[in-house]
Amino acid sequence: MDAIIQLIHVSKWHDRKAALSDVTLEIEKGEFVLLMGSSGAGKSTLLRMLIGEEQPDEGQIFVHGRNVTKLRSAEIPHLRRKVGAVFQDFRLLPKKSVFDNVALPLIVQGVSEKDIRRKVTEALRAVDVDHKKDQLPNSLSTGEQQRVCIARAIVNGPVVLLADEPTGNLDPERTREIIELFKLINARGTTVIVATHDSHVVSHANRRVITLVQGVLLSERRVGQGIGV
Amino acid sequence: MRRLFYLVREAWANMRINRTTTIVAVLTTAFTLACVGIFLLLYVNLRNAAGSLQEDVKVMVYLEDRLPKEKAQELDRKLKLDRMVDEVVFISKEQALGEFRVQFPSESHLLEGLGENPLPASFVVTLAPNFRSPDAMKGWVERVQTMEGVAKVDYNQEWLSLLAELIGYIELAAIGVGILLSAAAVTIIGNTIRLALLARREEIEILRSIGATRMFIRIPYFLEGAVLGACGSALSLGILKFAFELFRQQIQLTGRFSGIEGMISFFPLSVCLALVMMGMGLGFAGSVVSLLRVGEGRA
Repeated sequence: MDAIIQLIHVSKWHDRKAALSDVTLEIEKGEFVLLMGSSGAGKSTLLRMLIGEEQPDEGQIFVHGRNVTKLRSAEIPHLRRKVGAVFQDFRLLPKKSVFDNVALPLIVQGVSEKDIRRKVTEALRAVDVDHKKDQLPNSLSTGEQQRVCIARAIVNGPVVLLADEPTGNLDPERTREIIELFKLINARGTTVIVATHDSHVVSHANRRVITLVQGVLLSERRVGQGIGV
Repeated sequence: MRRLFYLVREAWANMRINRTTTIVAVLTTAFTLACVGIFLLLYVNLRNAAGSLQEDVKVMVYLEDRLPKEKAQELDRKLKLDRMVDEVVFISKEQALGEFRVQFPSESHLLEGLGENPLPASFVVTLAPNFRSPDAMKGWVERVQTMEGVAKVDYNQEWLSLLAELIGYIELAAIGVGILLSAAAVTIIGNTIRLALLARREEIEILRSIGATRMFIRIPYFLEGAVLGACGSALSLGILKFAFELFRQQIQLTGRFSGIEGMISFFPLSVCLALVMMGMGLGFAGSVVSLLRVGEGRA
């Protein structure tokens, strides 16, 4: 299998404190990976680096064959179009309808009106909120808002989907639903990386788990198989 | 198409969200540009006036008394061959006396007591349009003054020089005030854009995270700046036109300076359009300054 993400001896310091320390890992195309760790373990830093929001102080990062550490600032938007991102706080535009929020990545890319309609409808159907397309995000439940956020992340068919604490604001039932949704997206061929500190997510996902502790890659295992690093 | 529609809609949304700031920015820009406009209007009208006055300026070349006819004819030929001269009209001593009597009928008896006609013969010279500047005129007069048979050369030199000097000062003032107040307009619009940027910082972050390019994020703010500048400039022209018409009406009503009335004019349409475009450019510059200073967030 091909590695879609590669981190080679990556280190990052925030105020002289190591956010990531000499992390080396590979994620294959089509994998579903859970990035575990408590708050401040370096999960969010790692995800931000994958979309070029932060640069490592040491090491190299490859995403879909491109060295992210060597990208020019004008190339970063193109990287972000291939890597969808889901956030704990949803980051939806409150004054735009659900449809318009999901259409945004396509508008940014200059996709035709007809294709926008088709792709947005498909994405909303995939996350089961197509019946709320004309509503404003604030009128939806938190679970629905997270679904809209996921629809926006997958609408332009990214090769990788990153989710940073996507269930942080959800109850266990909604958490299970969202994880099932990620599994479904993964089953369609998208590589999914979910950063979480929630052990329920691990048990629901039953996939490869990478654990970070204070910026250090502590262990790697597949739930139920006990593979250590 | 949807992309263009989105960008225009975002610019409009920016202006609507910060409605008060937008209105204040347009009004302040309008009054600032109106101040520049006053100087510009004054400058343009004075230049036009000076131009039309210079059209009428005639140089009087007085001949020495008892100059032989041949010498006068030679001088006439020399003047007519001069490339700086457009027209030469000879006024004999008798014609001069006749004109004096027509122009000053009540004073004509003064000359009768003198016996002999004391008025000199002269050439009334109109210079070619390209040589009617005060400097060119002065040079030409100095040259003709030395010609044989010429007693005196006369024209309203001081008056024309003064007018040229005044126009020069107004031009300088217009440039100075223009630069200063244009910078003020750029700052005012820049600050409005800055407020819009700060108000929409979160949205900008979201756009960045979904792969919007820097230019895509910036375009609505460029549009907003340009629209604010154009609106401010158009409004300033409205204010100026209103003030101009009021001034003209006052002249008509009072009857004073009635000669000026026909000489003054407002900016032609092409200049009005150029000024609106300039306002647009200033607004755009305000956006650029603001985006460079504040930035629209880091990549």
